[in-house]
Amino acid sequence: MISRRDFLKQASNAALAASAVQPMLAWAVGDSALAVPGKEGLIVRSYRFLDLETPVEFFNTWITTAEHFFVRNHMHEPATFDPSDWKLNVGGEVEKPYTLNLAQLSKLEPHSVVNTLECAGNGRAFQNPRVPGVQWRKGAVSTGRFSGPRLRDLLERAGVRATGKHVMFRGLDQVPGRVPPFIRSIPIEKAMDPDTLVATRMNGTALPEHHGFPARALAPGWVGAASCKWLTEIKVLDKEFDGNFMSPGYRWPNQPGKPGEAVKPEDTHPLTALNVKSLVASPGDGSTVRAGVVHVRGTAWAGEGDVVRVEVSTDDGSTWQPAELGNEKARYAWRLWSFQWKAKSGDYVIAVRATDSLGRTQPMAPVWNPSGYLNNAVDQVKIHVKA
Amino acid sequence: MSKLSCAVIALTALLAVPLVRPQSAASPDLPQGPLQAKAITACTECHEARIILQQRLSKAAWTKEVDKMIKWGGLVEPQDHDPLIDYLSTNFGVDKPEYVADRTGSANPKKTKK
Repeated sequence: MISRRDFLKQASNAALAASAVQPMLAWAVGDSALAVPGKEGLIVRSYRFLDLETPVEFFNTWITTAEHFFVRNHMHEPATFDPSDWKLNVGGEVEKPYTLNLAQLSKLEPHSVVNTLECAGNGRAFQNPRVPGVQWRKGAVSTGRFSGPRLRDLLERAGVRATGKHVMFRGLDQVPGRVPPFIRSIPIEKAMDPDTLVATRMNGTALPEHHGFPARALAPGWVGAASCKWLTEIKVLDKEFDGNFMSPGYRWPNQPGKPGEAVKPEDTHPLTALNVKSLVASPGDGSTVRAGVVHVRGTAWAGEGDVVRVEVSTDDGSTWQPAELGNEKARYAWRLWSFQWKAKSGDYVIAVRATDSLGRTQPMAPVWNPSGYLNNAVDQVKIHVKA
Repeated sequence: MSKLSCAVIALTALLAVPLVRPQSAASPDLPQGPLQAKAITACTECHEARIILQQRLSKAAWTKEVDKMIKWGGLVEPQDHDPLIDYLSTNFGVDKPEYVADRTGSANPKKTKK
């Protein structure tokens, strides 16, 4: 078993080696394959900067392995990173600003949260009319077990002043050109929630490099953008952070507009929690199955709500049958579901919709918005059943 | 060779690196056309071609994107502004077939459709 010290040493060596081949990529690239160490079979939305989508067929386990966990980067990953030099600054509207190194952070009492992390833009490719951005289809979502100290503990140690209303995260991502840095903030209430973490571990190991090693924010149940990676600064602010990725980025219209119509920034508010949503993981879209009992399965999640019902339709939405929910559950994690379908030969559309404890149910069509966020339309897959 | 010469050569080599981007499976090409070279220098300095290849946008939407990217450091001379938008909306308009993405690893080394 590799020790933490060895791991850090190896990570440090890898970072040093990578820095020698800057500025293109932080890993070796061959001509014949898209090699991303630790990532196998993922859909490449972008290679430089790295954006990888998980194919839905991998959604057959409650916890997504690191190998199959989607990656969303807005910028280039830190390439000249040395864990022994890493520091986390805690400051802003606090009484006692301070700095932690990795060893000091690792000594703080950890807490674990199983969280379904979803990119706000997941499903953007299905918007009509199309909108710009990474054209995620279904798999910019995964579930992991994240561990690390509570953000609340770090903030209380600094002593948050009454003026502290938002908490800003800054990462070590490398910003090209004059692109605004990827800095966002969350309201103080979410920052002080006992499940909001400074996560240092994912699925029982140190955070993988693509997921923010050595530390990331983890705002469970919220859009992935709230959980800044490669964290290096936590700053308490007296108001929402003023930057591109808070406005105009990552905002939702106060009133749904007509598809294709522009929305003024003042008529929007920041995205926070995820919607209720579900996916069919199997059978695959466009696949052929044999008549008889077909095992339909997938996942369903609801941000800060709980999934209470998953229903499946095989007749274009005329009737809906309840699916069976899996036993594994946690407050912010998706539920696996399954449905035994007695299928006769023919062509079908399998549709799935989830309902949550907040009374929300998935719509049949995406709610259009200018950046294509939070598409939680009912998932539909075409199936051919042969005799 | 003097230390100064060495330093100049080293500095020149360093500065030259970002200007030469080898095209490979890791960085597919943008389609040919009069603005291909401009698109490569203006866009792929910060992000690779795939980000463009997967878009299917109207001319109005491409105009907004190009103007945003110029604000963010994309180097587009005034005379290239409108032709670049034409190039992008012609090649990556709403009527184009869906982009087929690669996968990571050796298990499924599917080639990018252009």
